Amino acid sequence: MLSQRILSRTAVRSALKPSGISSIVPASRWARTYATGAEEKDLVIIGGGVAGYVAAIKAGQEGMKVTCIEKRGTLGGTCLNVGCIPSKSLLNNSHLYHQILHDSKHRGIEVGDVRLNLEQLMKAKEASVSGLTKGVEFLLKKNGVEYLKGTGSFQDEHTIKVELNDGGETSVVGKNILIATGSEVTPFPGLTIDESTIISSTGAIALQKVPEKMVVIGGGIIGLEMASVWSRLGAKVTVVEYLDQIGGPGMDLEIAKTIQKLLKKQGINFKTGTKVVSGEKISSDEVKVQVDSAKGGKPETLDADVVLVAIGRRPYTGGLGLENIGLELDERGRVIIDSEYRTKIPHIRCVGDATFGPMLAHKAEEEAVAVVEYIKKGYGHVNYGCIPAVMYTHPEVAWVGQSEQDLKKAGIPYRVGTFPFSANSRAKTNLDTDGLVKMLADPETDRLLGVHIVGPNAGEMIAEGTLALEYGASSEDIARTCHAHPTLAEAFKEAAMATHGKAIHF
Amino acid sequence: MASFASACRASMRLATRRVQQDVVAQRGFRTSASALAAQNFTMPALSPTMTEGNIASWKIKEGDKFQAGDVLLEIETDKATMDVEAQEDGQLFKIMQGDGSKSVQVGTRIAVIAEEGDDLSALEVPADESPKQSKAAEAPESKTPSAPAPTAAPTTPSAPKPTHKGPTRTYPLYPSVHHLLKENGLDDSVVKDITPTGPNGRLLKGDVLAYLGKINADYPAQISSRFEHAAHLDLSNIKVAAPKPAPAEKPSAKETAPAPPPAPVKSVVSLPVSLSAVLEAQRRINKTLGVFLPLSTFIARASELANDDLPLPKNYQPTADELFDQVLGLDKIKGVSKSSRGAYIPQIGAIPPTPGVFGSAKPSVAKKVDIFDILASTKPQTVKKATTTTVVPGVSASGPNIFSLQVTQAEEKRAKVFLERVKLVLETEPGRLIL
Repeated sequence: MLSQRILSRTAVRSALKPSGISSIVPASRWARTYATGAEEKDLVIIGGGVAGYVAAIKAGQEGMKVTCIEKRGTLGGTCLNVGCIPSKSLLNNSHLYHQILHDSKHRGIEVGDVRLNLEQLMKAKEASVSGLTKGVEFLLKKNGVEYLKGTGSFQDEHTIKVELNDGGETSVVGKNILIATGSEVTPFPGLTIDESTIISSTGAIALQKVPEKMVVIGGGIIGLEMASVWSRLGAKVTVVEYLDQIGGPGMDLEIAKTIQKLLKKQGINFKTGTKVVSGEKISSDEVKVQVDSAKGGKPETLDADVVLVAIGRRPYTGGLGLENIGLELDERGRVIIDSEYRTKIPHIRCVGDATFGPMLAHKAEEEAVAVVEYIKKGYGHVNYGCIPAVMYTHPEVAWVGQSEQDLKKAGIPYRVGTFPFSANSRAKTNLDTDGLVKMLADPETDRLLGVHIVGPNAGEMIAEGTLALEYGASSEDIARTCHAHPTLAEAFKEAAMATHGKAIHF
Repeated sequence: MASFASACRASMRLATRRVQQDVVAQRGFRTSASALAAQNFTMPALSPTMTEGNIASWKIKEGDKFQAGDVLLEIETDKATMDVEAQEDGQLFKIMQGDGSKSVQVGTRIAVIAEEGDDLSALEVPADESPKQSKAAEAPESKTPSAPAPTAAPTTPSAPKPTHKGPTRTYPLYPSVHHLLKENGLDDSVVKDITPTGPNGRLLKGDVLAYLGKINADYPAQISSRFEHAAHLDLSNIKVAAPKPAPAEKPSAKETAPAPPPAPVKSVVSLPVSLSAVLEAQRRINKTLGVFLPLSTFIARASELANDDLPLPKNYQPTADELFDQVLGLDKIKGVSKSSRGAYIPQIGAIPPTPGVFGSAKPSVAKKVDIFDILASTKPQTVKKATTTTVVPGVSASGPNIFSLQVTQAEEKRAKVFLERVKLVLETEPGRLIL
């Protein structure tokens, strides 16, 4: 019996080899390994975004043989190429422009002719993007990761076929495979995104000229950041949000109201509790958007030369060939995983936007490290209760942990402490006093439950809150930790004091 | 020979440097400077193969200061006798293995050194963390005032023994915890008796409060379990997407074809509506604007209006958008919408429909003409004579017309609301439908 098996196996091999048809034969794993000698990788990663490239580097550092497949042509995914990074460049520079234009005279700075050079503004953005994506490519090289530019799809459970961007096709075999294909913009039914008139966030960071009138559908973080950029550069922006609050459902209501007021003061028009019924592109610079108040107001038509669709993102697994290996998605298109990021085929795992959890770059990054640790060491960890969120408007909004409405709904008792930046010395000297720090803590043990900040530099300040939350600190622990004077961070400390006792300066 | 000696010296230097580095690493664990400046000095490995050696003689005495490069002692191995030089400035605090000690294992403490300028009288001898191998009796001075503390070894192999009792912690107490202990006159030694509930066994303010009996003893643990729960992705309720219609579905459809699902029981909901107000409005518009609007326009617009925000049918299935909201938890924020837009078009007849007309019978919920109807319809009836004789087939201009809908049982309430709205609009202010 045994000898028979050996015989037949040898027969197949000899049949394949001399005739040289092995490369044409549909590559079973066995035939490929024997016939072409392609080495099996420890980990093959589909997607070179934040989840994919971080996993690749981490796995390289752990001494694994890694291939990372990315079709965009540059690494870093949505975040580096068309998301977080370019938008932060535009936000920072448009803020500078706006400040020079409107906020310099009373500070004692007289500026002459201030003009916007949009082309240069975009070039500055591209420079930061290309610098960072090349940096990532260097890091992959440094950690011995093979980088394939092309589109990967499952041929079988271990083999990924890659259609190379430069033409041609190859395939890689992996002991472990990681799906890190990320997400794409959720389209608005009836509005076809052309990225010039009806745009997504991708088009919003690359407009050729400042629109006169802009309608933003969706008042979440992406919508508000882009609304800020173009409003600062001179567009008249209207944000239409279906919910009664802006900033998305995770933002604390009090904070959301505060930032809405502040953004309104900056000239952004809001229509909350309003749904977009339909939209129609009249010409290349005219769109009509029909909106209807969700609470039975009058229907209204908004005119715009550019409409930004920013209603959210959805998992992207298109062209991955999941059907070839029988992998299932859930009803919202997310790859189904277990707590160790394994799909039902245990050596195929998935992290980042393509699967469950908040669609945030830093969450994807954490998961990427954890998944490699699971593969290599059998244990990894991401604390999903402690993932900060930041909106980079001015002032910034940042939060971590639970919001007041969350706690109320869950019936969890809490104590609130707030401190306004108007009572903070550094904010005062900066003439930048909008906003507040709000802390939520358990009323009995004083353990921190959530931190919510709207104010200058909130995005940096939230790191302290995240650390405190991660360590199970109480508000008193923060209050008893020395903070340098004069800094904005003192507001953080004073809010902590206000949570379990009294603030000194308020 | 000279070259051999210098080679030995070089390797020995390297070895001592390594020892010194170990010493430096230990400093990271210090909590207070004065108590911890003394460091153990262990038997260096002067060659890669060396496992033990004899101490020939110490070149400096206890209390002597030395500078980097000074020879501290002479060690004999089976191959050679070598000097051990100091890598840093310091002073010798205590010699643990005196002159002539034989077969001292590499890594065994042979002395305690201190930093330059430390007050030796105030220093404590740190715990001996050297591996306790072969308790050879050739170490007469190894019994020192601070007895070896092997218990400290597993958790903090390189940390000096804390000056106080209590469990070994590798991190300082949280400021709130420390404060609370002192405030309540408690010694740090009680720390080991308090159950920690923080991440990785950290002691939190709440734990001390519970220990003090100021809050419920179980409460901190409850909070921690809540945090623990929030720390993980909720994968408990995954709904797998419906599989795409497979090609194999056709034959199976044929199999099931003979037994089609029973048609839902339909019933008729109807309501009498007087159109006289509409006709009056129609006449007035015709007179003032010179535009004749057919009755169907009024009815269509009234239906359009009445279709808005109808109560959900009993067997309502949420749409994809609503499910999306539910997944995001938005439904809790904006409240589950209890209404949706309908798509009803009423059937109109002058005579009340008999059950036979509309198929399967369910007692129609038609209302009798109530006082409201009479009031609403009588008034326009007085001006009826002035109306132009427009004839809309099947519609009675004077008497009430029956507006009816054929719906499933689950939708009855929804249909009723719709008809009542149509009635209200048509009978009270039909003019506003147009203007």
